[in-house]
Amino acid sequence: MKEAKPGKLNVHQQHENGHFSPFKFAKLLDPEASWDKDQLGDILHWIRQVVALFCGLLWGAIPVAGGIWIFIFLAISTGIIYGYYAMILKIDEEEFGGHAALLQEGLFASITVFLLAWILVYSLAHF
Amino acid sequence: MATQQFLSSFKYSDSLTVVAISFCTAIVCEAISWLLIYRTNSYKSLKSSIDRAAKKLETMKTDQNPNKLSTKKSKTKKIDRVETSLKESSRDLSLFKFKSGAVVALVLIVVFGFLNSLFEGKVVAKLPFKPIGIVMKMSHRGLKGEDATDCSMVFLYFLCSISIRTNLQKFLGFSPPRGAAGAGLFPMPDPKTN
Repeated sequence: MKEAKPGKLNVHQQHENGHFSPFKFAKLLDPEASWDKDQLGDILHWIRQVVALFCGLLWGAIPVAGGIWIFIFLAISTGIIYGYYAMILKIDEEEFGGHAALLQEGLFASITVFLLAWILVYSLAHF
Repeated sequence: MATQQFLSSFKYSDSLTVVAISFCTAIVCEAISWLLIYRTNSYKSLKSSIDRAAKKLETMKTDQNPNKLSTKKSKTKKIDRVETSLKESSRDLSLFKFKSGAVVALVLIVVFGFLNSLFEGKVVAKLPFKPIGIVMKMSHRGLKGEDATDCSMVFLYFLCSISIRTNLQKFLGFSPPRGAAGAGLFPMPDPKTN
């Protein structure tokens, strides 16, 4: 049986212009921490962007070529996001709108970041 | 001078120019948006009412007692009222940003025209994959030859715009509130500031 962790809304954590309120880095790895929907969405967004940038730079540096590597990136990126919220944070996804809502956070922006990094490194380093 | 020489030694150094101009444009557009939209009281109050309504709606939807029929009916009515209020606030926010977004749209059109005049017909980058369909049309726009991996300014500028502006808006806290209508699988940078 899945261990559900209540994703209670934390009313004491205020958003000012969309920025996080100060929180310890340890919270990012703490399965007991409670998450605000916006905070969790932001974290997942930025993780996607970092993974996209890393993959783009790596794919471009090696280099790898072919459309298949776009799908490989999507699989890796999605796997990391899913692993993070399901296994590390142990989030009950129903409290946050389901898997689709969590997995689509920052998806499109991350695809463009990945393509941009990949194309730039590939073009500049290998021609 | 040494930097210029170093950069021009790359075959596709034009791609860096496109990225740099896109980055500067994104900063200018967000500055204009802040000036005309984000610092105004109307925007702040609309945003906070959307946030409040979205959170209230979420709480009401997860807090339903299925046992009492009369409570359930009145709860459904309340949910409908909050949803209507949320839709109205979202619409008002969109309209408000639309009026001010015309200035940003003008800046983007001017920058695109400028980049087009600089790089029309030039290959600015090499794609590490063969694009298909509409991506191919965009990436090969205005280029001669049949090499599908040649990349025109249009596609690179498109990638720069989406990636830089979306993340800049996110970083600065200017992204549209999650409760507002329009956020879907592919949330673009706030279209009313385009």
